[in-house]
This record gives sequence, structure tokens and C-alpha cells, in this order.
Amino acid sequence: MTLLAIIAVLFLGGILAWLAEHFYGRGSRWISLLTLLLAAVCLNSYTPEMHDGVTFTGAPKWWDSLTLAWIPRFGIHFSLAIDGLSFLLLTLTLAMGLFGLAITWRDIKFRRGFFYFNYLWTLAGVVGVFTATDLFLFFFFWEVMLIPMLFLIAVWGYEGRLYAAIKFFIFTQASSLLMLMAIVALVYLHYNNTGQVTFDYEALLGAELPAGIAYWLMLGFFIAFAVKLPSLPFHPWLPDAHTQAPTAGSILLAAILLKTGAYGLLRFTLPLFPDASIAFAPVAMALGAASIIYGAVLAFGQRDMKRLVAYSSVSHMGFVLLGLYALNTVAIQGAVMQMIAHGLSTAALFAIVGALQHRLHTRDMTQMGGLWSELPRLSAVALFFAVATLGLPGLGNFIAEFLVLLGSFGSDRWITAIAAIGIIGAALYALLMMQRVFFGLRRQVEETPKSSAGALDLNLRETLALLSLAVALVVLGLRPQGVFNTAQPAIADVVKRIESASVARSKTSAGAAATDIAAGWPQAEQRQGDKP
Amino acid sequence: MSARELYAILPLLVLTAGIALLMLQVSYLRSHRAALVTTLAIIAATIYGCFRVVAMLSQDVSSIAVTSLLLVDRAGLFICLLLLLAAVAVAVLGFNYLRQRCLKVEGAASYPEEFYILLLLVMLGACTLTFASHFASFFLALELISLALYPMLGFAVIGERSPRRDQMQSLESGIKYLLLSGLSTVLGLFGIAVIYAACGALDFDGVAAALASGMPSLMLVGLTLLMTGLAFKLSLVPFHIWTPDVYQGAPTPVTALIATIGKGAVVALLLRLFAQLNLFQIPLLNTLLAIMAVASMLIGNLLALMQNNIKRLLAYSSIAHIGYLIVAFLIGSSAFGSEAVIYYLVAYVVTTLGAFAVISLIADDALAATPGGTQPIGDSASDPFQRDYYRGLFWRSPWLACCLAAMLLSLAGIPLTIGFIGKFYIFAAGVQGQLWLLLAAVVIGSALGLYYYLGLLLTLVQRETTEVSEAPGGGIQIAASGHAVLIILTIALLGFGVFPQVLINWINTL
Repeated sequence: MTLLAIIAVLFLGGILAWLAEHFYGRGSRWISLLTLLLAAVCLNSYTPEMHDGVTFTGAPKWWDSLTLAWIPRFGIHFSLAIDGLSFLLLTLTLAMGLFGLAITWRDIKFRRGFFYFNYLWTLAGVVGVFTATDLFLFFFFWEVMLIPMLFLIAVWGYEGRLYAAIKFFIFTQASSLLMLMAIVALVYLHYNNTGQVTFDYEALLGAELPAGIAYWLMLGFFIAFAVKLPSLPFHPWLPDAHTQAPTAGSILLAAILLKTGAYGLLRFTLPLFPDASIAFAPVAMALGAASIIYGAVLAFGQRDMKRLVAYSSVSHMGFVLLGLYALNTVAIQGAVMQMIAHGLSTAALFAIVGALQHRLHTRDMTQMGGLWSELPRLSAVALFFAVATLGLPGLGNFIAEFLVLLGSFGSDRWITAIAAIGIIGAALYALLMMQRVFFGLRRQVEETPKSSAGALDLNLRETLALLSLAVALVVLGLRPQGVFNTAQPAIADVVKRIESASVARSKTSAGAAATDIAAGWPQAEQRQGDKP
Repeated sequence: MSARELYAILPLLVLTAGIALLMLQVSYLRSHRAALVTTLAIIAATIYGCFRVVAMLSQDVSSIAVTSLLLVDRAGLFICLLLLLAAVAVAVLGFNYLRQRCLKVEGAASYPEEFYILLLLVMLGACTLTFASHFASFFLALELISLALYPMLGFAVIGERSPRRDQMQSLESGIKYLLLSGLSTVLGLFGIAVIYAACGALDFDGVAAALASGMPSLMLVGLTLLMTGLAFKLSLVPFHIWTPDVYQGAPTPVTALIATIGKGAVVALLLRLFAQLNLFQIPLLNTLLAIMAVASMLIGNLLALMQNNIKRLLAYSSIAHIGYLIVAFLIGSSAFGSEAVIYYLVAYVVTTLGAFAVISLIADDALAATPGGTQPIGDSASDPFQRDYYRGLFWRSPWLACCLAAMLLSLAGIPLTIGFIGKFYIFAAGVQGQLWLLLAAVVIGSALGLYYYLGLLLTLVQRETTEVSEAPGGGIQIAASGHAVLIILTIALLGFGVFPQVLINWINTL
């Protein structure tokens, strides 16, 4: 019931926040804060489960689950469940929700009630996505989180907001219709085999599919998730949406919504279609590597600071795709770590860009320069997150990218080698951004808006919010084992399914070459802990 | 004709008696409000009659043949109920529409009461059509709908306060519908004649028996002609040309009527016809329908993209929606197929009715400020049917905008709304029938549809007015009855969207 409580709290809090505006203009954000804290308290009740992750052999797969009948006609249940992976992502979701709220505490000047309504409903939808174990319910939440996000971009966004909002929505919605088709087809095939109509995740895991059809269904899921991720050919919505969204919206998009795509791949595409995923893995890894390089190159070429951060997301999420489709424990662990670390670092970067835009009224890096002397605190924080983005050892991003590359190397050397070049690209664009914006001469010839530099710099609230993210990144970089342990059971489950599928594959085609996909790195968990 | 058979057509008898009663009442008492009350009472009595028949049906048999002309069964009764409920909404919207436009002075040439007689005539035709099991009753019912619709489409002329422009457009839409509907009726009638020539029977059972024994090509010609006539009524591409003009020109409540009741009854008949004649086995007809469905989905959505007039936009969108519905229809004579069609029909009726209701009520409010004359309004921001008029509506009157937004989301098939479950049914049906090409068209059509639904939705929330002044009195005032209709439709839309099982149970048990 706690899971349901988290979702319900967010939904109801959203409605309350909207209504509160009529009584007290600033009431909305206080209600949002209380709502998020309440949800966090609910989630916190699961922390004792976290340590059980180490002994994953005998423990049940789900920490907690809830099933209510919803549409018996189609065997659809309202079923939620949480395991280590969900827990990590839920923590990220609520933490980023709080961060986004804190960092834009005073930014929303008009229609606050409706803003916070959309903000909380997006979060509620995301929480639903991360916990749903009924495919219909998953799809339901998958769509529910889009509409409020659409409004966030379209109403509070910047100059090109309408175009960006519609583009964002059409990309995700059209691709998710493909997923709906695949879901329905999967259920129908399962029904033909067993005579039982069900959308239950566990039941569908056992569905026996003809290989050809499974590949098409897998593609239906993959495209929907790859759009969200985003992977290379499906990314065009991202730069616009991220750039035009208000700061809080960008934080939600980058830190949380992109992760739903990665989560979907890990939770649904890989385990539901292990055989087809193995067949598809080289393509997906190539797409991942291409996204890494492409994102880095385009980020390097941007003048708009927010667009730069947006393209860097394409690059970083490429690592996630690469890691997931390397199909072994190490790489997938790396991918999960990347999801979290990227969430933290990119959210911080968007917050910094937002803060700069708030102060300078521009995102154009050619008009900035030499800000360090005026904004020392902001600049220092920006430097920290810039080097986090480029993968400085000691921070979470490094662990993540290193593990992804380490794991993928056993699967496909050349693609991994190409992907590794992307790290150099990351160093280039991150440092270039620092150089252009914070170092060098002050280029903006216009009058400085305010005389005292101190008023422009980060205030206590912003500093605290950003510093807490920085601390989290350092902790992830130095003590990543907790995350690995928590995510391990879910990942082990996926890898086990992939392995058994690949064994079955090698049996059918004796002598086929690439069968040792998951065999590369034994006892990986031990090594990871020692690394930093 | 036994008493039981008479009892089975109780709804039709009540409606017929009600029409006579209303005519008598109007000839003695010219009161707009009284006419509305009587109409609502008649419709309520008819609904009650439907329930009585349902109760009788559930006792013993599943269907009752009333001579060879009519066949009362559960699916027919369900659609009949749906259409009657829609008629309630149309009557209320019509009342609001006419009240604003008709002068109340003695001796004025405004006769709003006839609207209700015509509405009940349409309902009589629609209910008969859902029960028809003979080509004679089928034709009679179809013509009754059309004949009553012609004057209704031109009804803006009655309202003396409606701008000349509206009156002219309304007349235009009436004439257009008259000519094109006449053409389609002739085609359909010719088809019926050819079918009769081929098999010598006019009742559906007789034709079915003749079909089972053999398939002369003459029969195929007749069926194809008949399909053409029906496709016109459903405004499937390429027989859709009339739709935008007629929708745009007609008084908005009548537009809602023609879009929901006019099409719902034909869908009901199509279900009956295909199931009883087992036409699913004829590949040619299936191919024909499939081509028309794909064309409707793609062309309907494509043409809607560039529309700035809301009514035209909804007209094209309704073309596309009937295309989606045909996908579910095409999976053959299975229980699931008809369930999917009926669910989608409910979703379509609720949503379309809701969208037109909002537009109609907003236009009623804006009437006083709308410039008169015969010329088109130059300033699109003061024309209540133009997209620009809706800019920022969400901040001016949140409640109306929320309703319209819910309707638009439902049309776009977004979860939490009934339209999503409808679309889910389409997908489920398409997967069952392995209609991959059609499903691909559904996906493409939906993606196109998103563009204009969202465009309109975002127009509603646009914030171009920089001043945050809450514009006292700038909100749109609509009548309480209009509010009630909107509340009920919105609740139905969200309720059946979140808890579809309720509606599924009704469809399956009724």
C-alpha cells in the first residue's frame, strides 16, 4: 500500500497545490514541498530492504507489491511492485523533484498553482512508470506523465516553446503507440498459447514467442524507449524540448524522464525478448556508440549553453544504451549507475544554466565570459559539475562510464573503442563551456543589471541544493557498492534470462561464434567495490 | 402482430406518440420552454421503454422479430439508449442556441418549437434504423433521418438574431446536404433494387439465405452500391466532401446531432447488416471497407491539420474517427468485434458531443459580441468558431477550457479518457484480426491527429497576454443547463476512461 500511497500523495498534492493558489499565492509551492517530503517519507520505509540486496539468492524478487483488479475483461490489474532497481530510480525521482522545486523556488512568476499541479503530476506518472508491473498500467502511466510535461514546456517555456512542446509530444506519443501495438500483440500471442488474457509482467515473461514475431515486438518496445532515451535517430525532440522548457522542466526531463526509457529497456525489452535482444544487441550497441560521438560533437558546436547540456545528455544516454545491450552484469551495472549519476550532474547543470539565464537573460555563450570574478560561487559549482560530466575519477559518472566500457569491451571491442572516444569529446565540450562562460574576458558590453555582484551570485538556498547534489556525486564515486548491491538482484534476473536464451541459441546453432556474451567477466561484483 | 411484438417496439411507439403530442402542444401553446420540457419527457419515456424491453429480453430470448421489418435485440437497444441520451444533450444545446437567437416578441417570425419536433423525428428514424431487419424499414428510417435533418441544418434562418452570415451558411449546408444526401440515397436505393433483382428478397434473412446458396455478381453490384450509400452517411473518404461544409454551416447543436446520432445509427445498421447477411465472408466488401478506412484515417487527419475553423477541424477529425471504428468493424463477425465497435462508438459519441457542446455554448455566449452582416468576419479573434478566439481560454474560463481539453485529449486517445480505451479496443481488435496495415494507418493517423489536437490544446493555454489581470467578467457565461450537460459528459468521459469495466459490463450484459 505504501507504493499506492506515494502515487496518491503526489496526485492529490498536485490538485491541492492548484487549488491553494486561490487562497494564498505562494501556498502552491509549500504544498508541493510538503507533498514531496511526504512521498519521500513513504519511500523511506523501504530503505531497510536495501541491505538485503546482497543476499539476493533466496530473497523474493519484489520488496513489496500490490495488486488490485482493474479491468477484468482484459485481465488488467492495477499492480505495483518495487525492487532494488525501482527503489533507486524512485529515490532519484523524488530527490530530483525536491531539487527542481528548491532551485526554482522563486522562479515561477505566474499561474503558480497550475505549474505545481503539472510538476507533481509528472512526478506521479514517473513513479507509476517505475513501479508498474502490469504492462497496461505501465503504458497508462507512461502516457500520464507526458501531458503535464507538455504543459510545463508549452506554458512556462521560452521563446520557441510551442514548437518544442508539440515536437516532444508527437515523438513520444507516436512511438508509444507502436509500443501499445506490441503490448497488445504480445498479450494476444500469450493468450493464444495459454488461453489466458493477462497483462501481468511476470506471466508475460514466460510467453513463448515465435522468433520472427518476437523480433518485431521487441522493436516496437525498443523504438518507444529509444525515443525517450533518446538514441541517435530518434533524438531530434530532445534539444528543443530541453532548451525551451523552464528550468524545473528541464531538470525533470533530463534527470527523470530520460531514465524511464532506460528503465523500460532494462525492465521490459531485455527480459521479455531475450532472444531477439541478443540478435539486436550489435545494432543497439552501435546506436549507443553513435549517440555518444554524435552528442559530443553537436554539444561541442553549440552556442546556446542549454542546448550544449542537452546534447551532452544524448551523449551520456548513449552510454546507457551501450551498457544495457552489452548484456552482461558489469555493463548493466554501469548503465544503472550512469542513469543515476547523469541524473544528478545534468540536473545540476540545467539548474546552473537556469540560474545564469535568470541573471543574465541570455543563454548565448558568446555573450558571456569572465563570469568567475563576478559569480565565484556559481562558477565554482559549475566547474565541479562540468568535470563530473566529463568523467573525473572520484565522481559517480566516472564509475558509470568506466564500468560500461569495461563490460562492453567483452561484447564488442570495436564499438567500445569508438564509444571511448566520446569521453574525450565530453572533456572537450565541458571544458570549452567552462572556458567560454566563466573564464576569459567579460564580453557582455551591455550594462550589468545590478551593481553589486554579491546579489547576483548564488544565494544560500541554491548553494545548498547544488552542494547536496555534489556531495551525492562524490559519495557515488567513492562508495558505489550500495547502489550495485541494491540493483544487483534485478540485473542478475535479466542477465540470467539473457544467458539462458543465449545458451538455447548456441544449442540450436552449434558452433556459432558469439555465444559468450555474458561470460566475459566473472565475479564482477567483488572487483567493483575495490575500484575507486 | 402479437402483443409481445408490440411491446418490443415500445420505444418506437412512445416516440411516435410523443411526436404527435408535441405537434398538438405546439399548435396550441407556443412556448419554447414547454416544448423543451415535453421533448425531454418524451425522450425519458422512450428510455424507460427501452429498459422495459431490455427487462423482457433478459427473461427469455435474446431477440424478438417484429414482423419481418424490425428485429429488437440487445445491441440495438444499447445503441438506441446511447442515441437517446445523446438526443437529450442535443435538445438542451438546441434550447440554449435558440433562446439566444429567437426574438420573444409577439408576432415575430421565430418558431423555435419546431426544432424539437424535427429532433424527435430524427430520433424516430435513428431508433428504427438500429432495429431494422428489412430493406424497406431500413430505407424508411434512413430517409426519415435525412428528411428531418434538412430543415434542421437550415434552422439558423429561424433565429432572427443570428447574423445574416450564419443564416446563409446554414442554408448552404442544408442545400448541400439535401443534394448530396439525395444522391447517396438514390445510389443506395438502386443497390437495394439490384439486390432484390438478384435474389428476390428484401428482408435481411431472405437475402442471407440467398447469399448462402450462391453469389451472383449482380448481388455484388447491389451490395457495393448499398455500401456507397452508407459510406456517404458515415462520411468515409472518398464520400466525405460534404462533411466540413455541412458541419461548419449548420447550427452547432445540429452539427453535434448529425455527427453523433446520424452516424451512430448507421454504424448500428452496418453491424446488423454485416452480421445477419454474413457479409464478412465477401472479400470484396472487406477490401472496399479497408481501403475506405485507411483513406479516411489518413486524409481526414491530413486535411484537419491546416484548419483554423474549429467546426471544420472537428468535421475532418470525425471522418478519421469513423475510419478507426471501421478497423474494429473489419475483424469479422466475432463478439469481440461488435463489442469493440460499440465501445468505440460510445467513446466517439461522448467525446464528439462534448466538443460540440463546448463550442456551441461558447458561441452562444459570444453571439452578442459577434459582428452581424453577410461578410465573413475579418478579425478572426472575434469569430467564436476560429482558433484564435480560443487563445488563452484556459485562463479566462478554466472550467470550459478544461472540458474542451478533456474532449480533445479523448479524441487524441490519451489515457484517463474514454478515447484511450476506445483506441485500445481498436488495437486489440486489429491485432486479433492481424490487420497490420490498417493498424499502421491507425498509428500514422493518430500521430497526425496529435498535431492538431495538441495545437488546439496549447492554444487554450497560451499565455500571450502578458498582463496577469484576471479580467473580471471576461469569463464566458453559460446557462446552468449547459453546465449540467458538460458536467455529465466530462464525468462520463473520465469515468469510463479510468474504470472502463463498468461500461464493458453494460455492453456485454444489456
